[in-house]
Parts: sequence; C-alpha cells; structure tokens
Amino acid sequence: MGNVYIAAKIFFDGMGIDYVIPPMNNKAALEIGVEHSPEEMCLPFKIMIGNFIQSIEQGADTILLVGSCGPCRFGEYSELQMKILKNLGHDLQFIVMDYVKDIGRSELMNRLGILISESKKSSREKVLASLRAIKAINLIDKIEERAHHLAGYEVNRGECKKFLNKCKRDVFETDNPSEAIRILESYRKNIEKVKINKNKKPVKVAVIGEIYTVIDPFSNLNIEDKLMDYGVCSKRKLTPSWWVKDAAMKVLNLNSLDLRRASKEYLPYYIGGHARECIGEAMIAQKQNLDGAIQIFPMGCMPEIITKAILPSISRDKDFPIMSLVVDEMTGEGGYVTRIEAFLDLLERRQENVSHGC
Amino acid sequence: MKVGIPKGLLYYKYYPFIETFLKELGAYVVVSDDTNKGILNEGVKYAVDEACLPIKVFHGHVASLRERCDLIIVPRIMCIRDREYICPKFCGLPEMIKNSITDMPKITELPLYINSEKSLYNWFRKIGFMITDNICAIDTAYIRALNVQKKFKSGIKDEGYETNIVLLGHPYNLYDNFINMNLIEKLHKFGVGLITEEFVEENYIDEEVNRLYKRPFWSFARKSYGAAAYLHSQDKIDGIIYVSSFSCGIDSVVIELIKDRIKDFPMLVLKIDEQTGEAGINTRLEAFIDMIDRRNIIEDNLSAHG
Repeated sequence: MGNVYIAAKIFFDGMGIDYVIPPMNNKAALEIGVEHSPEEMCLPFKIMIGNFIQSIEQGADTILLVGSCGPCRFGEYSELQMKILKNLGHDLQFIVMDYVKDIGRSELMNRLGILISESKKSSREKVLASLRAIKAINLIDKIEERAHHLAGYEVNRGECKKFLNKCKRDVFETDNPSEAIRILESYRKNIEKVKINKNKKPVKVAVIGEIYTVIDPFSNLNIEDKLMDYGVCSKRKLTPSWWVKDAAMKVLNLNSLDLRRASKEYLPYYIGGHARECIGEAMIAQKQNLDGAIQIFPMGCMPEIITKAILPSISRDKDFPIMSLVVDEMTGEGGYVTRIEAFLDLLERRQENVSHGC
Repeated sequence: MKVGIPKGLLYYKYYPFIETFLKELGAYVVVSDDTNKGILNEGVKYAVDEACLPIKVFHGHVASLRERCDLIIVPRIMCIRDREYICPKFCGLPEMIKNSITDMPKITELPLYINSEKSLYNWFRKIGFMITDNICAIDTAYIRALNVQKKFKSGIKDEGYETNIVLLGHPYNLYDNFINMNLIEKLHKFGVGLITEEFVEENYIDEEVNRLYKRPFWSFARKSYGAAAYLHSQDKIDGIIYVSSFSCGIDSVVIELIKDRIKDFPMLVLKIDEQTGEAGINTRLEAFIDMIDRRNIIEDNLSAHG
C-alpha cells in the first residue's frame, strides 16, 4: 500500500523480525484477490487478499492487520479475511491492531506482545526501530509531495518522476535502517536541486478521495505519475504519515483541525471512512487557488458515495471543477486516461480565460 | 405547519413514534405514498448514481413531498445501539438529499442517537420547537409517542406451516412491498412460513455474535448474523432467504459471514435494484422452494450444492 512498505521494512529490519514483502500490487495479485473475495467487496479488500496469498507463497506465517470500528466496512476486513484464508487451507497467525477502546488495553498489549516477542533486540533498539520507521514515512511522503509539486515546474520533462522512482528503489535495496534514513535524507535535500522554471504556470490539481485508492498507485492506475508526465502539479493531503498523525491526535480529539473547519459548511459530522476529509480537502484546494480536484474511490465505497453527492454542489457554488473517478477491477486504462486528459484540458482552458467553446 | 415524512428507510421501524409525536403537536402530517414506479423514477433521477436502491427510493419520497410541505423529516440516524452504527449513508443522508434535490424546503439535519434516551429526547425537543413553542406539549407528545412505539411490534412469525424460512435483510427491503415485489405474499402463497430476526431473542443473538473474532459494529449485521446462526443451530428452519440491495457494503460482509457459518445449508440471496425483473425473482423463488421440499422428502438432507 503506497509507501507504507518502506516504513514497515525499516521497522522490521530494526526489530530483527523476519518479514515477507509481497510483490508490488500487480495484475496477478488482483486476479487472485478477485477469485477468492466476495463479489461485492470493495477493491482494497480484493487486492489485500491477493497480497496475502502471494506473501504466503513466499513463506509468510503471520499477518499483521490494522482494524477500525468505524461505520465503513474496512473494520470488518480482518474477520472475513481470516475466514477466507482459513477456508483456503492456510494455517496462519493473525495480529489485528484495533482501537484501544474497543478491545481493551490488555488485549492490545497482548497482541502487540505476540508481534514483538519475535524480536531479540533490546527495548531501546525496539523504540529506535519504531521512531526510525515514523521518520522514514515522513521523509518519503515529503519527498513525494515535493516531486509532485515540482513536476509542474521542471525544465527537463520527467526528471522529478525519475528522481522519485530512483529514490524508492535505492531505499528498498538496503537492509540497514540507519542507511535507509540517510539515503532518504540526502534525497530530501537533492529534490530541491531539480532544475525548475519559476515562470511556468502549470495546472494545479488536488487528488482527493478514499485513502487506499489514493495512496496505492496500482489501484488508481498511477494517476500521480500520469499527472507528472503531463507536467501538472498535483497535491494530495492523505498520506501514510498524515494517517499516523491523525490516528495519534484522535486520542486528544485534535486531529486535522484544518480539514474539520473547511468541511463544516458542507459536511459537519464524521460519517465514517474519510468522507469528511475529502470534503475538507476539496474546500482547502479551492481556497489555495488550485485549478481543480480529482476524486478517486473504489466502486461501492459507502462514505465516498455521500461525498460524491456533495461535491457537485461545492463545484457549483465555488466555481471549482471536480471530477470523480470510480475504480474497480474492471477499470479500463484507455477510458480512464481520456477522462483525465479531458479534465486537464478543461482546466488549462479555464486558466487562459477562454470563455467560449465549453 | 405541514410536516412531511418520507416513507423510506427506517420509517418502517419507527413510524408510530414520529407520526404520533407530530400529530400530538398539532402539525399537519403528510406521509408520502407507498413506493411506486413514479417515486422510484424520481429517486433514480435525483440520487447519485452509485447509491443503493433504498437510498434512491428515499430520494424519490422526499422529492414527491417537497412541494407539499414546510418541513421534511430526514433523520440523520447515527446509531440505534451502543457502540454500533447503521451505515455511513444514514449518517450523511441530509447532505445527500440537500445537495442532490433542488428547491428543497427545510429539512431536519441534527444527528439522532437512538441508543441514548437523553439525546433522543433532545432531538425531539428541537424538532418540536420548530412546530410549537409550548414545551409541555412537546413533553407530553414525546411520552405518548414513546409509549406507542414501545407497543409497536414489527416483524413476522408464522405458525402452522410445514416449511419454515428465515427472512433476513434490512427492514426497508423487507417491508417495502414495491421494491421487493411482494416477496412476503409470494412466499405465503407457496405455503412457506416466515420468521424474521425480530423474533429471535437478543441474548441468543449476542451469544452467537460473541463467537466471532471481532464484534460486528453494524446493528443490521449483528442482528442478521445472530438470528441466522441461532435459528440454524436450533434446527427450526428449512432455509434462509436474504434480501439485499445491490452494492450494499454491509451485506457484502454479512452474507459471507452467514455463508461461512451455515456451510451448505440452503440460502438464497435475492439482490434487488431498480432494474430487477419480477419474472427472474419468481423463478428463483420457485426453484429454491422446490429444492427445499425435495430436501425434506429425501431424508438424507442433501447438500444445497447438489
């Protein structure tokens, strides 16, 4: 899932726990997932099943999952996935990380204990490993954000994209956590050295929607790479590091205050998933004078259906173009690209203030 | 003041309450018609494409009321039992309605927590103040409505039939005879007795649900799963029929859980959407009931998979 694997790798490397990283999300994983999942489940579930089975083939015997108890069906993933894998004859240990208030503190510590017991490192090193993982995720998200932004201004088309891909490859190759952090830090510095032309006026687009499909490049058919290819600045608020911060601040009820304020006019309550965040992002994007927003969500996603009903009103009231893209295992790349291109053309024309031909 | 009540979603469970309350306050209550072709078409026209059938039907009911009322009750039901939710779409219902249907009169937007008596009372007090200034009248109306609701029993439990089937599904799919095409009547004609989850006692449901690894956090999921699992374990029923609307997120999980629990016990999942054809439903029902009958004749209780 997006860049989470980089942080997870650094964490487990530091802990000295054996792990299996499934191959990057691919068609094969999706096909395996679709085969074994209930038909009407959403896309992330299917891809995850595919990942699990591919990891099991590579020798994994424990699966770590995060859970939730929100009204979105993500919270029920673990229950169903355990049953599916068991029925397929895989004997596995599951570790499900749920919210404290739901399973009780001792149960959570117990589950954490199973995970940590594998590690033979001292507790100081364990804490260090976690801190490093958090640092890594913050760094990689920052690099990505800058690359997506600078792509609109770069002099040599494609440089940012190449830079970003090289960074991910380099980090992935090392098994030494402190080395990985060092690599990330140097890339963080070097990204600012990409040649840019400040006089350019690129189209700026916000990518909003359901967190999994937004973060995972395979499910959204590499939308951010595509935008970089077009020389478009893209902006995305939902990142793994944002999620970590949001989850931590939730305890104090101080999470994402800016999004809450921004979404107040159209959706003043939390209704599950990241629906409220999606509305907030659209509003913030509009205030920051971006040119438009693209919403992505998997077919059947309950919270995002509500936002899809609200977004046209924002679009109308604020004169801010928003396009919704629904992805599932049947999404065809051709139609998808055509829609993105048409949308970008529209944004470009608006910039030039062409008042005819729309 | 004319107050509109759309006949959709949880109307079927709570209509005695809301209707009594509003009438006691002296409001002129307009309840929309039973769902019909016109309402469905209006709903499909206004609602966002990806929404499920019950949500679309609800849009249709609201649209049919909007010119006749000053206030429409669009409840934002957050939960009906502690630590449980219903469905995200219920929580965002007022937003969906407001942004999808044009020229709307005033609607109720406050969140409603049915699990806590205090917040329930506060909700009704605020609704009451939109109609009258008399707080005593609101209090009496509230208490009367509460009593009426307590006496109200929904659900079906038939006696004296040879074949008995559990009918599962969300209340608005089961009791809206238009969208399920008179399913209940059809089954009775086939000589099949029905029982719904309302007649399974709470403690049996809890017992079954506790066996799951994780507590289901949707009220519908808990009830459907618990009822199916309990009745199946008691050997009281011959089959299960689950009525589900297309692309329902909750059902996509619950149906799998039930299937996993009952293994090869007969279960029919009827998917309904705005394009369901009646002939197809009839054929499937007939086939299912034929299968159950044969299973009863051949004592071996053949597997449902043949």
